[in-house]
Amino acid sequence: MRFWTTFVVAVALVVGCHPREQKHETVSGVKGPDAKHAKIEPRSPMLPAYPCSGCHAGRQPKTQRYELKEFHEVRNHEFSHGEDAFWCYQCHSSKDIDKLVTSTGELVTFDEAYRICTSCHGDKIDDWRDGAHGLVVGNWNGERTKKSCPSCHDPHDPRYPSIKPEPKPAPPKGLKAL
Amino acid sequence: MSTRKSLPIYREPEPEPAGEGDEASRRDFLKLTAAAAVLLAGAPACDTSSPEFQEVLQRHYWELTPDDKKRIFARLEAKTKALTGVSVKISDPQPLEGVHFAYALNLTHCNGNRRCVEACARENNLPNDPQMRYIRVIELDNGSQHLEKGTAYYDPERVPQPGKFYLPVQCHQCDNPPCVRACPTKATWKEPDGIVVVDYNWCIGCRYCQAACPYHARRFNWVSPSIEPDRVNPNQGYLSNRIRPVGVVEKCTFCLHRTRNGRYPACYEACPTGARKFGNLSDPESEVRRIVENKRVWILKEELGTEPRFFYFYG
Repeated sequence: MRFWTTFVVAVALVVGCHPREQKHETVSGVKGPDAKHAKIEPRSPMLPAYPCSGCHAGRQPKTQRYELKEFHEVRNHEFSHGEDAFWCYQCHSSKDIDKLVTSTGELVTFDEAYRICTSCHGDKIDDWRDGAHGLVVGNWNGERTKKSCPSCHDPHDPRYPSIKPEPKPAPPKGLKAL
Repeated sequence: MSTRKSLPIYREPEPEPAGEGDEASRRDFLKLTAAAAVLLAGAPACDTSSPEFQEVLQRHYWELTPDDKKRIFARLEAKTKALTGVSVKISDPQPLEGVHFAYALNLTHCNGNRRCVEACARENNLPNDPQMRYIRVIELDNGSQHLEKGTAYYDPERVPQPGKFYLPVQCHQCDNPPCVRACPTKATWKEPDGIVVVDYNWCIGCRYCQAACPYHARRFNWVSPSIEPDRVNPNQGYLSNRIRPVGVVEKCTFCLHRTRNGRYPACYEACPTGARKFGNLSDPESEVRRIVENKRVWILKEELGTEPRFFYFYG
């Protein structure tokens, strides 16, 4: 009886102390370029005014909602994310304007923008990591690049816009237009 | 001649001296007919090395030696040059070892913009008059799958329209393809990587396969090819996007001249929403494999048992 109790406890300890290997612990590609994994497209080279500190250095961050002017003026009308609850410093860091801040207060670079998005929209990270959600460009069996969330979803107005479709197909010859 | 691999339904004549007649194959019949035509037309005017003569005597794709292919591709390239004025390169990429292609399509993301349809037409040299397109995007009411109530001829100013979803349909590259079984000449078959192809030079244009396909994926060339020179894609595959002659059936081949060289199909690259997913189903790390394993995928007309390689999913 004692032997069996010891045995069961020993097995439980061994199993408990050796967790099964997590296959997809990190987002594929974060570790570096690999033929099997897609690289994640860096965002900062695409931002026209990056680094933000070029203008914002020395300015006091205003955490309250106010009428934007000059460069950001367009956002007064185009901002449609989180109803009225969100404003700039929900995602942009007020401490370091060249960084973004997750919902848990962690600072990340613009190149890791997907971490900002998925800190709230956590249900999307698995699909995006596995390739079910999002754009991947390149070669199916070679180098490929995964687009980051803001490539398709403007974080300030994230709904994918409606677009003009290509013309409708011609009906089969001899049939009237449908 | 005896070293060639023979087709199961068109046996080569046995090398016996006697006993002809019953054993005469289509090939012999064609040779005889051609010889008779030569005699009738007057022997001096005819040249057995002419492209037309060679085309009539061309063998099935499975029986072609590398030398045959080289000669045939050169002939087809010259023919395309004469027809369109564009110099093209016809190649014959072979299936990759251990690769089984599959497609997955995210219906939540597809917004019916038809970019895939146009990119496919450009890539595969599809004619505009009469218009031929491999992909049809069907607009359906949310919550329904009544294909007969959907339409491919939707034409709003902007898509997606509220209350609608969009179902792109193209060749599903079935694992149990009804079109292949319907073909009386074995001009269409399933390749080891899963792509169903057509040898346009062996197709007799009976259109049985077109009637057999439950996905409306096959198209027939009613007229001689007409394509604007600026629309000709010079990267052509013998079994995929080369200029097709009149009177043969054609279909989507997952752009095998691209995909067998590691690239994505044209429709995939054209999709702006990322709804299209393509890859190797045998690779456990590939995107399609992870989707098929982890998402709730479904296939069109599952009850027909065609086992498509084309999966739809939401999410």
